[in-house]
Amino acid sequence: MRLLEFEAKSILKRYGIPIPEGVVVAGEETPVAPFSGPAVLKAQIPIGGRGKTGGIVIVDKDEDLKERAAALFATRIRGYRPKKLLIEEKLDLKREFFMAITYDTVAKEPIVIFSSEGGVDIEELAQGEPEKICKQHFTFRDGLPEHKAREIVAETGVTGKPLLGIGAVLAKLATVFIQTDATIAEINPLALTASGQLIALDCHLDIDDDALFRHPDIAAIAKDESRIEAAKAQTEFERQAALIDSVDHRGVAGRVIEFDGNLGLIIGGGGASLTAFDAVRAHGGKPANYCEIGGNPSVKKVQALTKHILSKPGVEKVAVIMNVVSNTRVDLVARGIVKGILEAGRDPAETVAVFRIPGAWEAEGFKILRKYGVRYCDRTVSIDEAARMAAQSAGRQSA
Amino acid sequence: METHPMGVFVRIHIDLDKCQDPQEVKAWTGVCPVGIFKLVNGQPVVVEENEDECTFCGLCLQACPGGAIRIEKLYE
Repeated sequence: MRLLEFEAKSILKRYGIPIPEGVVVAGEETPVAPFSGPAVLKAQIPIGGRGKTGGIVIVDKDEDLKERAAALFATRIRGYRPKKLLIEEKLDLKREFFMAITYDTVAKEPIVIFSSEGGVDIEELAQGEPEKICKQHFTFRDGLPEHKAREIVAETGVTGKPLLGIGAVLAKLATVFIQTDATIAEINPLALTASGQLIALDCHLDIDDDALFRHPDIAAIAKDESRIEAAKAQTEFERQAALIDSVDHRGVAGRVIEFDGNLGLIIGGGGASLTAFDAVRAHGGKPANYCEIGGNPSVKKVQALTKHILSKPGVEKVAVIMNVVSNTRVDLVARGIVKGILEAGRDPAETVAVFRIPGAWEAEGFKILRKYGVRYCDRTVSIDEAARMAAQSAGRQSA
Repeated sequence: METHPMGVFVRIHIDLDKCQDPQEVKAWTGVCPVGIFKLVNGQPVVVEENEDECTFCGLCLQACPGGAIRIEKLYE
């Protein structure tokens, strides 16, 4: 789960990382700054790049804070309307830095990314001026001691007193990352003020959902559905799909987002499902939904999900597309798909636009599909090609 | 090849003549990871709604050396 900025900053403060003086106000409250001088109004929404999208407003000393806050509360920013604003003192900045810690899934170790230039898009900086960025792994066992943190910072050319201070903040951020079971802990920017203070101006903290049970305080925040006005409210169709997913612990089959097309998608595997979804659209297909299946879901779950997607008005076909699977069995998915279609009173041969799941137990899966006359393909057919076949098949149906 | 109207892919058959030992019966009914067997009044029965969850892991076959269990694939 992604914490809102003020929630993340309260954790930073607990670990001794300085944050600006500020106050959080809700829509119904009258905003009063607990300091004199210009203020920064920050919409508390779970997205990055708020500065570029109107989510951060500078309010000068002589401007009406109440009026500006009301305007920000009324603004929808990339689909989100803020329910809370963070009002912070506007600081006189001398220099900005970037620091982040995340988990490198290839190296299977946490990694520090530090840049001597903050407040910028780190991906752009990595392409244009890679010398300003230093990346280094560390271990969960040893953590990131201050002397190692300083070495990382020094790699980017930072010296003197700032080096000592930034090293200390980076080491503390690593502790936050480890102790809160974060998947991302980022401070961007860490500001060096004109008075020589280091202050975390913004913070992005993502906590591993599966570790929330170890952090009752953060879990309580996660449970509070009122903290964020979702960009899109969950539909009844999506809620029913989530219920299917909760039927048993085996795999995933029910994380669904509803769209208004005619082609049901039963697609899987994180990036592969996004690829398949985009490919279907690129080939002119109109998805009725996005979904994720994976982790070897039970036949019952796949069956129920298939039937559920076919129950959506206008959905005549489903495309079943995954990347090459190793931890999901093709035959079990095939059983669930066929059973779900039959239970919906349809013909599998007519209903499956394409079945493209190569991998574990594919020979058995293909026997099942052959028996029911379902169009399937193996790994020699790309996800893109399978998406094209599906889009064409659904297009013919609706034409 | 005939297809089942509701899509049934696996049938589990039990021949109790081949396994009389109550301890052995208890062992193979309890070993299935997807709950295909249950004991009703001490007698093993197949839970039909779970039959298609069979992964062919073979644990029940190993636990029943007498050969009371037969797994039939209906799609071959």
